[in-house]
Amino acid sequence: MSIKLQRVGLIAARDYKAAITSRAFLIGLLVMPVMLLLFFVLVPRILNSRSPQVIGEVAVIDTTGKVGAELARALLPAEIARRRAVEAEETPLKAASASAPAGASGSPIPNMTLVQIPPTTDIDTYKHWLIQSPDTSPRHLAIVVVQPDAVTRRPGAPTFGSYALYTSSKLDEGTEATLRNTVRGALITTRLRADGIDPDSMATVQQVFQPDAVVVNPAGDRSAARGFARVLPFACGMLLFIGVLTGGQLLLTSTVEEKSNRVIEVLLAAVSPLELMYGKLLGQLALGMTMTVVYLVMSLYALAQLSLSGLLDPMLIVYVLAFYVVTYLVFGSMMLTIGAAVNQMAEAQALMPPVIILLAGGYSLSGFIGQAPNSAFSVAMSFIPPANTFAMIARVASSAPPPAWEVWTTLLISVVTAMLVVWFAAKVFKVALLMHGRPPSFATLIRWARSA
Amino acid sequence: MTAALEIAGIRKTFGDTVAIEALDLTIPAGAIYGLIGPSGAGKTTTIRMIMSILFPDRGSISVFGQGSALEAKDRIGYLPEERGSYRKMTVGAFLTYLGCLKGRTRAQAFGRADRLLGRLGLPDVQARKCEELSKGMLQRVQFVASIINEPDLLILDEPFGGLDPMSVRLLKEIIAEEHERGATIIFSTHVMAHAEELCEQIVMIHKGRKVLDEPIAGLRRRYDTRRILLEPLDPAANLLALQSLPCAEAVKLNDSGCDVRLREGTDPGDAVRAIAGLVAPARIELARIRLEDVFISLVGGSGAHESQEALRTHLQGLSSTGAAA
Repeated sequence: MSIKLQRVGLIAARDYKAAITSRAFLIGLLVMPVMLLLFFVLVPRILNSRSPQVIGEVAVIDTTGKVGAELARALLPAEIARRRAVEAEETPLKAASASAPAGASGSPIPNMTLVQIPPTTDIDTYKHWLIQSPDTSPRHLAIVVVQPDAVTRRPGAPTFGSYALYTSSKLDEGTEATLRNTVRGALITTRLRADGIDPDSMATVQQVFQPDAVVVNPAGDRSAARGFARVLPFACGMLLFIGVLTGGQLLLTSTVEEKSNRVIEVLLAAVSPLELMYGKLLGQLALGMTMTVVYLVMSLYALAQLSLSGLLDPMLIVYVLAFYVVTYLVFGSMMLTIGAAVNQMAEAQALMPPVIILLAGGYSLSGFIGQAPNSAFSVAMSFIPPANTFAMIARVASSAPPPAWEVWTTLLISVVTAMLVVWFAAKVFKVALLMHGRPPSFATLIRWARSA
Repeated sequence: MTAALEIAGIRKTFGDTVAIEALDLTIPAGAIYGLIGPSGAGKTTTIRMIMSILFPDRGSISVFGQGSALEAKDRIGYLPEERGSYRKMTVGAFLTYLGCLKGRTRAQAFGRADRLLGRLGLPDVQARKCEELSKGMLQRVQFVASIINEPDLLILDEPFGGLDPMSVRLLKEIIAEEHERGATIIFSTHVMAHAEELCEQIVMIHKGRKVLDEPIAGLRRRYDTRRILLEPLDPAANLLALQSLPCAEAVKLNDSGCDVRLREGTDPGDAVRAIAGLVAPARIELARIRLEDVFISLVGGSGAHESQEALRTHLQGLSSTGAAA
C-alpha cells in the first residue's frame, strides 16, 4: 500500500494551520517565557519586597567575657551588609545562585540588637525569655551561649569550644543563617586577636576573587561561566519537554475531536489511515518545532543581550532540534494512539499518566545529569529509551560533553525507538479510529495492534 | 461491462460478533445499486470495508480492478452515515480541503463546491464556519463533499436522513445526474421506498448475509403480488360481488375500496377488465411490489423467535422513521 506524500502534506498543513492560528497555541507559546520571568525575576523580588526587615534582640551569655563586644559590632546592619558584599565579590556564582528567596544573602538585612546577659545566668531558666506573645516588642530573637573555651583552648584540647544557640520559634531561616555567620565571624576575630593576629590583615590575606575558568579545546578557548553551564542542561531539557508536550497534547486533542465530531470517517474516505496518521504527526511536529525555534531565538537574543552568546556551541542547537524530532515522534505517537483509542478527552486522562510520567521523568533527569554528565548513571541513561534523549541533551549541554560517537549512538537508538513506537501506533490507529464505546485498556491496545 | 466493485467471500467479525459472512457482490460500472436491510444488518460495515476504512478478516475486495479502495480513493465519493466536519473551518475551506485530498486543485474544488452549493440552495455559505450551519444545511454541505471530485464510484450511506422533502428531491436529482454522467452509485438505506425509487438493482443484507441480489424489474416479476386495488366510483357499490369472478381468489375490503387477490395463472389485464366491468372504478391498479414484502418473504420465517409480523412492524417502523426524517 503506497503512501501519497501530497495527501500527508495536506493533512499536516491543515493541522499545523489550525493549531498555530488557535488562541490556545498563542497563549501556550507565551506561557513559558512568562512563567520563567515570574519564576526567576518577579517572584524573588516580590517575595523579598514583602519580607519585612527583622528587628529584635539577641541575648548573649558570654562566659569568656571577650566575644560580646565583637559580636555587638558584627551584628550592626552596616557590618552585615559589608560582609555580604565581600562574599558576593569573592564567589559571584554562589551569590547568583543564592538569589532564591530563602537564601540568606538575598533577604533583607536584619536589625539585631545585642543584649549582654551575665555569664553566671542559668540558661535553662533564662531560655523562657524567648517565649513571647506575638505583639510584644522588642522581639526576642535568639540566645547565644558562648562556651568558656571558645576563644582560648583548654590545655591539650585539639579544638576550640563553640557556642550554643537557642532561637524563638518565629525566627526565619534567613535571619538565623545571618546570625550564625555573624557569631562565627565574631569568634574567629576574637581568637585571632587573642593570638595577636590582626583580623583585618587575615581577612585581606584570605580574600581571593574567583575568576571564570577558561576552557581550552581544539575549537578555541572559551570562558566557562559556571552558572551558565549549570543552567544550560536544564534549559535544553525544558525546550524538549515543552515542545514535545505541546505538540503531543495538541495531537491528542485534535485526534479526539476529529473522532468525536465524526469527521474522521469523512477524512478516511479520502485518505488511508496511515496517511492520516503521518499527516497529523507531521503537522504537530512542525508546530512543536516552531515553538522550539521561537524559544531558541528568544534564548539566543537574551544571551546576546548578556554578551554570553559566545558560550553556546552552535552544534548544541542542531542536537536540540534533532533530539526534539525523535523525542516528539516517540511521545507524540503514544499520545496519538491514545487519541485514536478514546472518544472524549476525559477518557484520555485515564491513559495519559504513564506517558506523562515517562516524559516528565526524562525531563527531571536533565538537572541531575547536567551536574554529573559522565557518571555511570548518566552514561547508562543516555542509552535507555525513552529517557535517553533528555539524558544525552543534558550531557551535551553540560560543561563536559560526551564524545560525538555517544551522541550519535543515542540518536540512532532514539530513531529505532521512534520507528517502533510509530509502527505500533499505526497498527492501533488503524483499528481504533472507528471504535466507539468503552475506552480500551492497554491490553486491548496491544490486542488491536496484533489484529491489525 | 467492467466491474466497478468486486467483493469475494468477505467475512468480518468484531470480537465474537459476526458482522458480515460470506458476502459476494459484483457491481458493474455505471450501475446504481441499493444496499438495503434493517439497522444492524451489516450495510455500513460492508461499505466501510469497500472504502478500506475497515478490513475484512477473509475474502477480497477490488475497486476498479485495484486491490483495494486505497488505490482508487481519488475516484470514489463517499457520504458516510456518521457525518462530521471541522466546526471552526469555513465551508469553502472544508470543501476545498477535501477536494484537494481527492486530487483536485484548489481552484477546481472551490469552483465545483460553489456550483453544487448553489444547486442545493446554499449559495452564500462558503465563507461561513461549519458550526454556524443548521443540521440540514451541514448535511447538504457533506453531500457536496462526497461528489466534489466527480467520482466514478459514489457510495451514499443513508443520504436522506434528517433532510426536508425539498432537499431530498434536490439530492435525488443530483444523484440521477451523477448516474447519467456515468458514475456507479451504491446507495445504502433502510428506507426501502427510496431504494425502490432510485435503484436498478437491490442487494439485501440480513444479519450479515446477502439474502437478495436482483434487478428491481426482476423482483417485480418474481414477486408479483397478484393483487388489484380497486376504489369504486360509487362508495355504496357491492364489492363482495367481485368474489363471483373466476379470476378472484379473495376480496379484502378496506377503507377506500378493496384488495382483490387473483388466482394463479390469471392474466392481470383480463382481471382488470373483468373487475371494471362488474364495479365501475374511480381508481383501479395492479398493486406494486414492496421491498418490505420481499424482504419479509425472504427472511421472515427463518428466525425461530422472530415472527413475520414482528419483522414487518420493525421494517415499517424504520421506514416511517426514515420518511419522517
